Amino acid sequence: MQADWNTVLATAETLKEYRAGVEARDKDLGAFLHFSPSISTEAENPGSASAISGLPIAIKDNLAVTDFPLTCGSRLLEHFTSPYDATAVERLKAAGASIVGKTAMDEFGMGSATDTSALSETKNPWDPNRTAGGSSGGSAAAVAAGMVPAALGSDTGGSVRQPASFCGVYGLKPTYGAVSRFGLVAYASSLDTVGVIADTPDRLEAVFSVIAGEDAKDQTSIAAFSPGKPPVAPSDLSSLRVGILQADESDEPGVREAMTCVEDVFRTAGTEVETVTLPFLEYASAVYYTIATAEAGANLARFDGIRYGERPLYAENPDELVRLSRSTGLGDEVKLRILLGTYVLRSGFHDQYYGRAQRLRARIIQDMQDLFSRFDLLVSPVFPTLAFKLGRDGLTPYQRKQADRYTTVANLAGIPALAIPTGVHDGLPAGVQITGPAGGDYALIAAAKALHQALPPAAPATYPRIWS
Amino acid sequence: MYASKIGLEIHIQLLTNSKIFCGCRAAFGDEPNTNVCPVCMGYPGVMPALNGEAMRMAYQVALALNCTPTEHTQFARKNYFYPDLPKNYQISQFGAPIGTDGYLDIEFHGKTRRVRISECHLEEDAGKMVHAGDMSLLDYNRAGTPLLEIVTEPDLEIAEEAEVLLTQLRRMVRYLAVCDGNMEEGSMRCDANVSVAPEGAPLGNKVEIKNLNSSRFVRKALAYEIDRQTDILERGGTVSVETRLWNENRDQSEPMRTKELAHDYRYFPEPDLPIVEADASFIAKLSDAQVELPQARMQRLKQVHGLGDRVVELLCDEKETADFFEAVVAEGADAGAVASWLTSDVRKLLNRFEVSLAASPLSPRRLAELLGLLQSGRIHGKIAKQTLEAVFTLDDDPERIITEKGWEQIVDPKALAELAVAVIADNPEAVAAVRAGNAKPLGFLVGEAMKRSAGRAEPRALQQALKDALSVEPLYVLDFGGAIGGERRPDGMVQPGTRKEVKELLAADPDLPDSIRFDEITLGGFLSEEISPRDWAQLVSAVRYRIEDSSSGVVISHGTDTLAYTAALLSWVFPDPQVPVVLTAAVTPEKAPELMRDAVRAALQLPPAVHVVLEDGTYPAVNLRFERVEADAARFRTWNATGLESEQWPGFALGDASADALTARFETAMRQVHIARIYPGMRSESLVRLMDAGYRAFILELYDTGTANLGHSPFGLRAAFEEARRRGVRIFCTSQQEGVVDFQSYVTGHALWREGAVPMGSLTTETAYARLVAAMVCMEDDDEAFASMEHRGSMKNE
Ligand SMILES: [Zn+2]
Repeated sequence: MQADWNTVLATAETLKEYRAGVEARDKDLGAFLHFSPSISTEAENPGSASAISGLPIAIKDNLAVTDFPLTCGSRLLEHFTSPYDATAVERLKAAGASIVGKTAMDEFGMGSATDTSALSETKNPWDPNRTAGGSSGGSAAAVAAGMVPAALGSDTGGSVRQPASFCGVYGLKPTYGAVSRFGLVAYASSLDTVGVIADTPDRLEAVFSVIAGEDAKDQTSIAAFSPGKPPVAPSDLSSLRVGILQADESDEPGVREAMTCVEDVFRTAGTEVETVTLPFLEYASAVYYTIATAEAGANLARFDGIRYGERPLYAENPDELVRLSRSTGLGDEVKLRILLGTYVLRSGFHDQYYGRAQRLRARIIQDMQDLFSRFDLLVSPVFPTLAFKLGRDGLTPYQRKQADRYTTVANLAGIPALAIPTGVHDGLPAGVQITGPAGGDYALIAAAKALHQALPPAAPATYPRIWS
Repeated sequence: MYASKIGLEIHIQLLTNSKIFCGCRAAFGDEPNTNVCPVCMGYPGVMPALNGEAMRMAYQVALALNCTPTEHTQFARKNYFYPDLPKNYQISQFGAPIGTDGYLDIEFHGKTRRVRISECHLEEDAGKMVHAGDMSLLDYNRAGTPLLEIVTEPDLEIAEEAEVLLTQLRRMVRYLAVCDGNMEEGSMRCDANVSVAPEGAPLGNKVEIKNLNSSRFVRKALAYEIDRQTDILERGGTVSVETRLWNENRDQSEPMRTKELAHDYRYFPEPDLPIVEADASFIAKLSDAQVELPQARMQRLKQVHGLGDRVVELLCDEKETADFFEAVVAEGADAGAVASWLTSDVRKLLNRFEVSLAASPLSPRRLAELLGLLQSGRIHGKIAKQTLEAVFTLDDDPERIITEKGWEQIVDPKALAELAVAVIADNPEAVAAVRAGNAKPLGFLVGEAMKRSAGRAEPRALQQALKDALSVEPLYVLDFGGAIGGERRPDGMVQPGTRKEVKELLAADPDLPDSIRFDEITLGGFLSEEISPRDWAQLVSAVRYRIEDSSSGVVISHGTDTLAYTAALLSWVFPDPQVPVVLTAAVTPEKAPELMRDAVRAALQLPPAVHVVLEDGTYPAVNLRFERVEADAARFRTWNATGLESEQWPGFALGDASADALTARFETAMRQVHIARIYPGMRSESLVRLMDAGYRAFILELYDTGTANLGHSPFGLRAAFEEARRRGVRIFCTSQQEGVVDFQSYVTGHALWREGAVPMGSLTTETAYARLVAAMVCMEDDDEAFASMEHRGSMKNE
């Protein structure tokens, strides 16, 4: 009999047991950068209203939690502690959830394997030789390995969905602006979203409904998700019109199998299904990396070692201080993207790169709007591969960036997308993502709930569920 | 000839309570790093939240500057690394600023010029870095305070215009209550672009000047830069495009290190802030709430109340003063009186008590009450000043103050008549002298009566009561030298100071009423060519006394040579003399008796003003020109009579300085003003030598309507003008001919104006000189005196 997640932080005894359990599991996984659970007064009061009351929740280490580290997986912020809460975190706390730790990530969210982190490399709970994905690999692994029922991640180009899919759990990238970005350390502000990773669609919905909604501290947040205004979701699959992205023969068999599997479920349910193509897909990664790096160059400029962060003990002048702090504090992938971002915005080339990418982005937004005038949701792969191997056996940096094409579309278009597990292929979890029109987050969750019944996810054998 | 173009970039710090993107207090001068939070410190993860108040103020300024407000305004990131910039990018605006295509009409030397505003954009300020020994310290209190940058087109030509623009802009933003406009404290900052090119050629290379921390530095730095570029071009060189810093300690600009410039700011739209909608209703609401702006208000006050330029500018410099003025007028007080009290006595008291008008015990109602007391004759001028001061010290109402202090005047005609009768009864000797035709003892009798009333009798009414009781009409004749008071010696030369009594001269005249009494005061005893500052001081002092005393009129005999100067002087210092003041001059002593009779008649008949009576008629006191046509025939003419009517040249208030004090002021003023006339072969160096000798202002007689050789040859005046500007020496231009100098005719005139010369319009050299001396005598501040030499008109833009 599995214990309820609501009880793990209830008493000193359960807390001790919980801490020991997580620490044992994380020794090999490296999902947490910081783990410090405490007794939750909410857990002692099971009568409290919130569905997430007393739940232990992990937070990706680029979201601010008061008095917790906020490293973003970077050497530069290794000893930085946040003086404030991100709005999403504040709302979780207000709803009675308990923040138990901060999870590993690619440095500043720049990566897809949690291996650009300067502080910890996260292993996949299904296979320690494989990546948990990234950049929210720590959050996905923590949920998949049963260490928390839900975690917050951030998704700029797929960073919630891809690790969730690699680890066999649910991962939502909400509509742009649905969740306040206040307290999320920015990578690419026009693409960044705070996402949720959870063990079930119900849990995912519970967490999302708490953190979503307009926030005065983020004026790009939108009112559509304010409390009491969840859009109505269709109740059954048969009423949906579903587009299925045409299979790409170069995708791994496990990926194609997952697509077929989901298509079958819809067809069985009597859903109207049609195969579609996205002609712009081949540009998505290029557009994404141009815009993301341009914004990243500015967003990461503040990490200069002057007001906070690691810096040399002595510098001849302020210029040298900034130069030394950045050259020793930032990792190679981060430097690469800053340089790229500087390159695409530089005078004389601005229009050729950044301007062109913005025009293509506008086109992608338009195409997606057209698509969703015909369909309620789109089924597509999350990534061309299942969890790939860590180290040299994995994908090259260029392959990885190319592979972001399926996920980056939702970020470029500002629309919601949800990664759902569909089963296990050769011992690794496989899955798809479902994408909807802007504001269709609850509809996606409703669809995920229906698919959940048809395709119940499994837990990795090495990490059986202790709590449910 | 070279033309200069100046464009300004002005940053104004908006007076919002909190910073532009966070809730921190936007306050100046607090303990370092106390008004900071994660947002304005650029902590990881924070986001900007736009302050609606900053937005409102920004649009208000844009509207006041006649800009087209942008309906969808957007922010952009301006990327550059600097330790005082927390995020290492500044949130600013690039493609869609708050407002575009506006203008500001500036008033310079009485001319209006339209300066186009290319845009206004909102942005955040940076912190401050200070170097202390081998450490660099940072204060982020200022980081994130809202700034509005106002960018002008290069429509300005000279440094002084830039200074004027800043002054007007400062006044405007203070009226709007969106910025305190303090350049020294950095709440208003200015960078400038300067380019010089040969007249008519395309725009020259642009040089940016930074670090202009006061409007004075702006003027100095821009004048320096124009000179520097002109010199380079004249030597055949090329001005390099660069950024220069003004070094206030060395009074020169220095090139910035190359490292600090040539930023590629890599602007891109700010993704953390949405596009802000400023729809028609928002703009309409702002327009409706717009306060009346200073220029419009000045115009209105001039039109409605007939006030002069200078007074209106003083009244409207601060909104508080203008509001106060209108409040007092609304209480029923006379606008002219309110204006003059506010700009002189009230201002002096505010300075003395170091208090603002709003915080002072003087309310509009109290000032109106005071002026009412004065108007109704219940108190006289001196008591009114005393009462005003008492309002400041006692914080009480004027009415109650004069009652409690017993300062109220005796104005009741019956009481005063009784007083007069009593004094007449007690002073038979003086009365007899008056009845015999001597006016002098009248003053003594007035004094006696005043003493009896313990100083409370209203002076003019008391004088009138005595005059009525004695049935006399005293008229004063002041002898100010000249041939009219002299005698021709046997050798034909005129000998000064041996004049006969005017009384005798006029005794035979049966036309004059019996009630007239004469009082002769000999001031001169010299020929009019020998007038010294002291003589003018004494004349002015004597006329002032006679005007205030019991006279019906004042007649002044004068020589012909300098009559034009003295007449103009008196008209400037006595713009509103209460009684006629008549100057007269005869070319020869033989004509004197007849002329004197004419002058006396004029004093009895003409309205209260300064007049000149000559052999061929009566003339206004200004713009007289003395021309000797033959050995024994001379005549006077009024120059530019029609031009004068269309120009406004208000006079000055002389005040109550003693004769000795006036002498000192005349001496100081006349030692600093020089009259020069240009001529073929004149060298700049002669004027420069005079500047070396301490002259601070010139009345310069040009040709015709204001032409001169402005070239760089030894005979061109360019060097003199440049030197004058450098030293703050002022040049006021008149003409050798009967021409109106307004610099409207293009090329030379315009160039002269650009060099800082002030056109005197229709005024003749004599009248302009007398005006400048009068202004310097009457005003405490020479700059104010210089400003009063400018008159209105409009400057054509090229
Ligand atoms: Zn702040």
